Amino acid sequence: MIHEHKIESPKEKQNRHKAMEAISMLEKLKHDFKEPPKAMDYFYNLYEDVHCKQKPLHADKVKVGTMCIQVPAEITHALDAVQIRLCNGFYTDDEIGSDLLPSKSCPLVKATVGQFASNNFSDKPDIIISPTTCDQKAKSGAIIEDMGFDIYDMEFPRTKESEESREYWRRSVRKFTKELSNNLGKKLTRKKLKESIKKIGYAQTLYHRLNSLRKNAHSPLLGVDMFLVTNAFFFDKIDAWIPAVEALASECEQRVKDGTDAARKISPRIVYTGSPPIFPNLKIPYLIEQSDAIIVADETCSSNRMFNDMVSVDEWFLYDMVDSVADRYLKGCTCPIFTKNDDRKRRIIDLVREYKADGVVYQAFAGCQVYEMEQRSVLEAMEKEGIPIIYLESDYSPSHLGQLTTRIEAFVESLKNRKRKAK
Amino acid sequence: MKYFAGIDIGSTAIKVALINENKELIGHKISASGSMFYKYAKQSLKDMLNELSIDTNDLVYTVSTGYGRKLFKEADENISEITANALGARAAAGDKCNIKTIINIGGQDSKAISLDEDGNVVNFAMNDRCAAGTGKFLDVVAMNLELEVDELGEYHFKSSGTPLAINSTCAVFAESEIIGLLGNDNSVEDIVAGVHYSIAKRIIKLVKRVGIKDSIYFDGGPALNQGLVHAIENELSKKIFIPEFPQITTSFGAAILAHESYQYERDVK
Repeated sequence: MIHEHKIESPKEKQNRHKAMEAISMLEKLKHDFKEPPKAMDYFYNLYEDVHCKQKPLHADKVKVGTMCIQVPAEITHALDAVQIRLCNGFYTDDEIGSDLLPSKSCPLVKATVGQFASNNFSDKPDIIISPTTCDQKAKSGAIIEDMGFDIYDMEFPRTKESEESREYWRRSVRKFTKELSNNLGKKLTRKKLKESIKKIGYAQTLYHRLNSLRKNAHSPLLGVDMFLVTNAFFFDKIDAWIPAVEALASECEQRVKDGTDAARKISPRIVYTGSPPIFPNLKIPYLIEQSDAIIVADETCSSNRMFNDMVSVDEWFLYDMVDSVADRYLKGCTCPIFTKNDDRKRRIIDLVREYKADGVVYQAFAGCQVYEMEQRSVLEAMEKEGIPIIYLESDYSPSHLGQLTTRIEAFVESLKNRKRKAK
Repeated sequence: MKYFAGIDIGSTAIKVALINENKELIGHKISASGSMFYKYAKQSLKDMLNELSIDTNDLVYTVSTGYGRKLFKEADENISEITANALGARAAAGDKCNIKTIINIGGQDSKAISLDEDGNVVNFAMNDRCAAGTGKFLDVVAMNLELEVDELGEYHFKSSGTPLAINSTCAVFAESEIIGLLGNDNSVEDIVAGVHYSIAKRIIKLVKRVGIKDSIYFDGGPALNQGLVHAIENELSKKIFIPEFPQITTSFGAAILAHESYQYERDVK
């Protein structure tokens, strides 16, 4: 019997590749560990809908795409638009971007540019905000603009201690607010911005409610699942994400009462830091937890950094609120693009203490220069504190996991030995 | 009438092809390599001649090729399967298609061959790892899924979900991946499609090493699997040419060379 078949269009092919990547990771997360909380089903289904079925979530909304974490979502939401973070974790798109950028570029940047090059979005952004954070992202904005997309460069300072940088960034946020408001034809009101700050603040509170459960000796939730929850904030409807996380937090609270451990008693507790794990590139967190360790906290911009610091408002006047929003995105940021970054080291050490971690995994994308450069000073700081740390470099390629696995396993085993001796 | 034979002794099967003075394919035979290549190869050639009622004396020149070619001492000459494959593919496609690229998936290896305008081999690449993505791999997959290998194509086209990729480059690890996927209640159809796409992606990497040109020819036993053909075409975004008898291209090429060698020996003083 001869099967008549037509050849896929480039878009169908790309979608199939991405669906295959997504389903492979979801299958692993669902089945390779102890039974996850029931409330995780919402997230598993969400990723399958968006990445395997290309289901749009915001068809009726104006969509503001962002190229980095620093774009204030409070402002976008207050202007009745949705904000979608376009930082991309797909190897399929990384391969497309590789043809357009130097070979030693960061895979996240290549994947993001690759997605624009193929112009294939389930929720296509109407305008793209490109904060001038790291060099590669800043330059990518211009490359994407050349492809015909509407880009707004949002200037971002590279130091954060000085009063000048604070003022520079506040001005940048005020300008962004004005431009976005004009672009969308919406007026920013005090009431709307206050509501928006409260809503995002509530999402952050929920994150902390869920995250603090991982401080328990028996963490109720795996790190890989937590990454799915936080990654979903990139693109999910906030009004759907909030009840889903409420349900998950309640279930995890019950799991804590029941003593349900997502890992085992001996499993070393890990703080994860470095280049952001973005679905479906959760391979390092997956390998860590497959090696019988558990990630109890992280310091990454695809998870903790999105929620850690909240807007702190003195006076609820419109312009005071805008400045307060700006401060949240500069002062709380621990990205290695800054000239010096003692905040980041302090935060990692704090997380290790608070979450009673046994060690730190520092992962940098090969090509992410700032994370690669900051590695040495973080390692030294950890050594000084007597905190075991391992540094890994990886990219989005699905093969060649053998060596990484061996290194991670050896690290986890050494932490287990310490744990046994210290008992 | 004089006849010329090509015999391709592969890791899995022995393929014999016979042509006449006009380079027309008269007959072919495929049998399992088994443990004694040499013996089976000789037997296979003899059986084919019997079936076609051709006198052994009319067989004037034999060329052996394939992995076991040097063990077949009766051959007048032996050539590498790369050359034989190229000759066979050009001849099999004939006027229908001016073949520039060949994909061959055999029992234990896979190759990509690039040809110039005149059919000379300009570049080739072979899988350097192991059995992953070869015919043997498909056998193992079929066995794990409790299917016959020739049912894989049917199952591929019945897949309605996302194909489930197999990420391991090792056949042994891939086997445990498949068992894992089955254990998690995934549909056999989606697993089969995933296996085909995983093989297709791997083979495309090989083809990229020699350069993807138009007019792509696919041969070897796995070319009978239409699901795999579909996956390769999708990965290449191009139609590919599948010959009538994909398994015997290389032995056919060896037979053609037998014809040419014979004439050369005879004509050149």
